[in-house]
Amino acid sequence: MLVVELAIKGLVYGCMYAMMAVGLTLVYGLLRILHIAHAGVFALGAYMAVTVANATGQLALGFLVAAVVSGLAGIAIYRLAYQPILRHSAFVPMVVSIGLFIVMQEGFRMIFGAYGIAFDNNPWYVANVSLAGISLTYVELAMVIVSVVLLVGFGLFSGLTRAGIGWRATVTDPQMATSFGVDPVRVRYVNFLFGSALAGIAGGLVGLLNNYVEPTMGGAVSYKALAIIVLGGLGSVRGTLIASLVLGVVESFGAIYLADIFDRDAIGFLFLIVVLMVRPQGLLGRG
Amino acid sequence: MSAYVASLVSVIGINMILALSLNIITGFCGQVSLGHAAFYGLGAYTAAYLAKLGVALPLTLLAAAVMAGAIGLVVGLTSLRVRHDFLAVTTMGIGFVFLGFVRKQKWLGGELGISGIPGSGLDPVTYALVIAVFAVAVIVFSLWIKKSWMGFTFDAVADDEEAARTVGVNVSAYKLTAFGIGTALAGLAGGLYIYFARIILPDTFDFVQSIAILTMVVIGGTGSVWGGVAATIALTLLPEVSRAAADYRLLIFGTMLILVMRFSPGGLAGLVRRQRPA
Amino acid sequence: MSVLARIDDLHIGFGGVAAADGVSFAVERGEFLALIGPNGAGKTTVLRLMAGLLRPARGHVFFDDRDVTSLPAHARVRLGLGFTHQIVRPFYGFSTIENVMLAAGHRQTESPWRAITSSSRQAERDKAQAILERIGLAAQAAQSPRTLPLGQRKRLEVARAIALDPQLLLLDEPLAGLSSAEATTMADLVRTLPGRGITVVLVEHNLGEVLRVADRLVVLDAGRVLAEGLPQEVMTRADVRQAYTGVV
Repeated sequence: MLVVELAIKGLVYGCMYAMMAVGLTLVYGLLRILHIAHAGVFALGAYMAVTVANATGQLALGFLVAAVVSGLAGIAIYRLAYQPILRHSAFVPMVVSIGLFIVMQEGFRMIFGAYGIAFDNNPWYVANVSLAGISLTYVELAMVIVSVVLLVGFGLFSGLTRAGIGWRATVTDPQMATSFGVDPVRVRYVNFLFGSALAGIAGGLVGLLNNYVEPTMGGAVSYKALAIIVLGGLGSVRGTLIASLVLGVVESFGAIYLADIFDRDAIGFLFLIVVLMVRPQGLLGRG
Repeated sequence: MSAYVASLVSVIGINMILALSLNIITGFCGQVSLGHAAFYGLGAYTAAYLAKLGVALPLTLLAAAVMAGAIGLVVGLTSLRVRHDFLAVTTMGIGFVFLGFVRKQKWLGGELGISGIPGSGLDPVTYALVIAVFAVAVIVFSLWIKKSWMGFTFDAVADDEEAARTVGVNVSAYKLTAFGIGTALAGLAGGLYIYFARIILPDTFDFVQSIAILTMVVIGGTGSVWGGVAATIALTLLPEVSRAAADYRLLIFGTMLILVMRFSPGGLAGLVRRQRPA
Repeated sequence: MSVLARIDDLHIGFGGVAAADGVSFAVERGEFLALIGPNGAGKTTVLRLMAGLLRPARGHVFFDDRDVTSLPAHARVRLGLGFTHQIVRPFYGFSTIENVMLAAGHRQTESPWRAITSSSRQAERDKAQAILERIGLAAQAAQSPRTLPLGQRKRLEVARAIALDPQLLLLDEPLAGLSSAEATTMADLVRTLPGRGITVVLVEHNLGEVLRVADRLVVLDAGRVLAEGLPQEVMTRADVRQAYTGVV
C-alpha cells in the first residue's frame, strides 16, 4: 500500500507542478525565454490569497484575486521586462528574469515580513478524505481537481476556439500566423495572463497546503518547474504535463528511498540530469 | 593593514577568483552556468575535510582545485550532449544536487557543515596577501587566455559553434577546457575560503551564491576581465560602506541585474566601450 | 590523375525520405567538379556528408585514401577538407579579417594546449590580408560581416575556407542569391582555385555559370547518381534533361 500511497501523493504534487510548469513552457515556446521570475508570480498569488482570505474571511475571493493579480503581473513582466530586450540573445532576458525574481522575493520580505503568514481560518488544512484507503487532505484533492479542470479547459480552448487555434499557430509559426491576421502581441499577452494566473492559483493552493506563505516559497517549486519543462521538451505543453506527473511521482519515491543520500529538492534535478545523459533531448523532446 | 582591511581584501580576492573563473566559462566560451557555487563548495568541502585530517595547506588547495576541476569536466561532458537552452537548467540542477547531497551526508557535517577548521598557519594580514597574490595570478591568467589563440578560439565557439567546426575547431575539446579551468579555479577559491572562514555551511554554496557570482560577471560585462575585477570590488565593498546597502544587498543585486541587462547588456565594460570614439 | 576523394554507396534519410540513396563517385585531384541536379535531388546532403556535418546511415567517405566516414567535421578540416555553407556563417562578432585569421591560424587552434601557449597573431594577420587582397575584400578588412552585402559575405566565406590550406574545397551553392554580375565574378574566382592546388567540388543551381567553369559534372536525381562526365556530353542526355524539366 505504501507504493500506491506514494504514487498518489506524487501525482498530487505532479498536478501542482503542472500548473506552474505550463506557464513556463508557454513562455518558452513563444519567446525562447527561461521565465525564472514565474516563481515570483507564484508567491504573489499565495500572498494575495492569504491576505484577502484573512481580511474578508472568503477563501474563494482570495483565490480569485490571486488569479487576477498574478495574471496581470505576468503581463506587466512581459511588457516591461521582456519586450524591450527581445532582440538580444536569450541570455539577456534570462538574467533579467533572475533579477526580477530576486527583487520580487525581497519585495515580499519587505512588505509582508520575513517570517511568513498563515491562513486564519483553514479548515482544509487538517480535514481529510479517504479514497480507497488513501488519506488525502481537502487541499490535495482540490489541487488535483483545480489543475485538471483548468488544464482541460485550456486544452479545449486551444483546440476548439478560434482564439485558441490562433494561439497554437503563433507558437509554431509566428510569421504564418500573422499573415492570417493573428495578432502576435495579443497572443503573448494571453499566454502570460493564463500561465501567470495558473501559477498564482498554484501558489494559493500550496500556501493552503502548508498553511504557510513566506517570501522564498516560489524558489523550490519554480526550479523544479524548470527541470520539468526541459524534461518535457521545451515548448511542448503535452510533454510538460506528462513530465510534471512523472517528476511528482519520482520525487515522491525518491524522497523515501534516497532519503539518506539526497534531500527532497535535489531528487527532481538528479532525475533530470540522469535522463539528459541518456536522452539529451529530454523525456519527450525530439532529437 | 588592520585586521578589518585584511578580511576585506580576503573576501574581495576570493570573490574575484570566483567571478573570473565563471567568466572563463560563460564570458569567454559562451557556456551558461547557473551552478558555479557548487564547484566553489566542492573545493571548500574537499579542502576542509583534508585540512581536518591534518593535510598541509598547499596540498589542500591543490586537492580542492583538482576535485572541482574533475567534477567540472564531468559536467562539461554533460554540456556537450545537451542543447544550449538546456544548459542553464542543467547547471542549476548540478548546484541543487550538490547541495542536496552535502546536506544529507553526516560525514560532511550535514546541515551543520564542517567547523573547527584549522588556521592557515599565517596571521590574517599575511593570509590576505596570499589570497591577493592568487587573485592577481588569476587576473593575469585570464588576460593571457584572452590574448592567446585560446581566447580567439573561445570567442569563435561562443559566436557560432557550427562555423567554428568548419574552420577546424574541436568545439567539444574547447568547451571541456573552459569548464575544467573555470571549475578548478572555483575550487581553488573554495580552498582559500576555508582557512579564512574556519567554518563552512552548505547554504554558503547555494543557488543564491551562484547568482551572486553571475551578477559580478554580468555587471562587469560578460567576457571582460577588467570589468569583472571592477564589478567584484564594487559589489563586495558596497555592503561595507553602506549599512542600508548591506540590509538590502539582494534587492540591490536584483535591481542591478535588471537595469544593467535592460539598458547596457554589455555591463560596465560595454559602457566604457561606448564612451571611446569609434 | 589520382583520386583525391571518393564516396561509396552513401545512404541517408530524413523523416522517411531517402535524401541519398546509394550515391558513389570519385573526385580527381586538381579538378573542378560540379554536383548538379533538380531541387531536392540531395546535392547539399551529399556535400554535407562529405564534409562530416552529417553521418550516413550506410556507406563510406574516403579522403586521400583514408576512410573518414567516422571522423567529425573539424577533424576532416585538419586533413585538408574545407567547406563553405550555402547560408553563409561568418562570425558576426569578428571583423572580416579576424574571420580569415582564425582559419589561417588553424595550426594554432588545433588543440587547447597549443592554443593557450601561443599568442602571436601577426603571421596569420599577414596571411589573411593577402587572401583578402586576392579575393577583393581588402577594403572591408576591419568591417563587421554584418555591414557587408551578401556578395561580399559569400566571398568572405570562400576566403575563410581558403585560409585553411585545404586540398579539397566543398562549396555549397556559392552563387545562390547573387546578381548575375556577382555570380560571374564568384564563378571566375573559384575557377582559379584548382590552379592554386585546391580541388573543388561545387553544388550549384546556376547552370549557366556551372557549365562554363566545371571540368566534370555529376548529376543527382532523387538521391541517386543519374549521370557523370564532361559538361557538354552530360547536358545533351535525354534523361538529364528530363530530370530537370520533367519533359522527355
